[in-house]
Amino acid sequence: MAIVSICRGSKSGGQALAECLADYLDYPLLGREILQTTATAFGVSEEEVTHHFHRSPTVWDRHAAIRRVYVVAVQATLAEHLSTGNLVYHGLAGQVLLRGLPSVMRIRLIAPVEMRVRVLMESDGMTRSAADQHIRTVDAARARWVKMMYGEHIEDPTLYDMVINVATMSIPTACDFIAVGLQQPEFAVTDDVLSQFGDFRVACRVKLALVSESETRGLPLEVKAHAGVVTVSGSAPMLATGETGDRIAAIARGVRGVKEVRLKVQWFDPYP
Amino acid sequence: MAIITISRGTKSGGRAVAECLAKGLGYPCVAREVLQEAAEALGASEAKVREKLTTPPGPWDVITRERHAYVVAVQSALASRCVGGNLIYHGLAGQFLLRDLQGVLRVRLVAPMPLRVQAIVGLHAHTTHEAAERFIRKLDRERRRWVRRMYGVDLTDTSLYELTINLESIALETACLMIGTLARRPPYETTDAMLARIDEFATTSRRHLQAIAGGGR
Repeated sequence: MAIVSICRGSKSGGQALAECLADYLDYPLLGREILQTTATAFGVSEEEVTHHFHRSPTVWDRHAAIRRVYVVAVQATLAEHLSTGNLVYHGLAGQVLLRGLPSVMRIRLIAPVEMRVRVLMESDGMTRSAADQHIRTVDAARARWVKMMYGEHIEDPTLYDMVINVATMSIPTACDFIAVGLQQPEFAVTDDVLSQFGDFRVACRVKLALVSESETRGLPLEVKAHAGVVTVSGSAPMLATGETGDRIAAIARGVRGVKEVRLKVQWFDPYP
Repeated sequence: MAIITISRGTKSGGRAVAECLAKGLGYPCVAREVLQEAAEALGASEAKVREKLTTPPGPWDVITRERHAYVVAVQSALASRCVGGNLIYHGLAGQFLLRDLQGVLRVRLVAPMPLRVQAIVGLHAHTTHEAAERFIRKLDRERRRWVRRMYGVDLTDTSLYELTINLESIALETACLMIGTLARRPPYETTDAMLARIDEFATTSRRHLQAIAGGGR
């Protein structure tokens, strides 16, 4: 059992590698359909969710709050798929959405632009210049998205366990040696790892519940879970009625899998 | 059979991975030996050759192209080691010295700074963590500048390598196992065609060195 996350630029062979690995290891495969699942859950179109994952935020981002909701929702959907301990994920932002989890092999696949242009020309019948322009635009938007949302450079190799260049390597060859790595102890999904995935799942559900409610959506809150005990930290306005704290606790308590809620929130006066 | 180059920052586990691979694949593993052979060919000291391959070139080097002779000598020594098709090279600039040779498996290892600092502090008890980190950052900076000046690229650019492995989460033994598996697959497994290319590359490198040495430095 293991979890694999594949991040790649458009037309870099990521889907082929993910399918090869899922087939070879007999693991479930999850890709862009995660956006459809999230869209359905929110009663919006897939394009609406995709838009917030693809369009890079600007400094003055009018849609920051709703973008955050969708990102948290996609992360929560992804967390639900970890329950069996087997998954090949090749959707968006896996390297940041699954950050900090054990036994996840985070791979980045890169390919020369010329190779990707050729693939796009053949698959979509584009001219060379249109294909080149498209790839560079998509790459730049994704890089900006990761930078704005997480403050990281998408090409930073330390975000991944491995960066694989398919300029000279075939997809079956890449698939072959990754499978060897996945069988090693650091990627084994033990009972302890499964329990950490369970904690992550509960924390993601609580985060989603908090961003789904208008009173708590804009608050910079962090959520951690351990064996059903959820700790919410961050900062929130201190209202005379004390309602904010009560609402955070009530929302969190209403989430499946939560047994106890602990607040470590720093309260501030919104009207000093 | 394969030719593998391992690039890494100082104390990033390069030697350990190279030795593990050499043991698993039964290939010779070289680094410093290549510098020694180059030094011998040029009648210079090993320290001088090392300096020319690590310290960033200044304006004088650009005018005299003196440094070029040292690079060609190291390339020639490395090329002659490649003849036969089995080699693990974990010395300086392997990915650049063999860039004209198709089928080389170029690996880069990255490791988190605390791990690298610990490797130095563990070896030198009198070195503080701060001093070790300063030393590592200085070397990293100099190597990046050397590569930028000599080849016009960024040493950390992942497109220069077939595989970049982060040793923060991947164990040395796992890295070794994966690279070993990859080395046995095409196009990295040495074929007769590649052996012929290596021979040609070694001959060209040797002639290049002779031309430079004959022309005076």
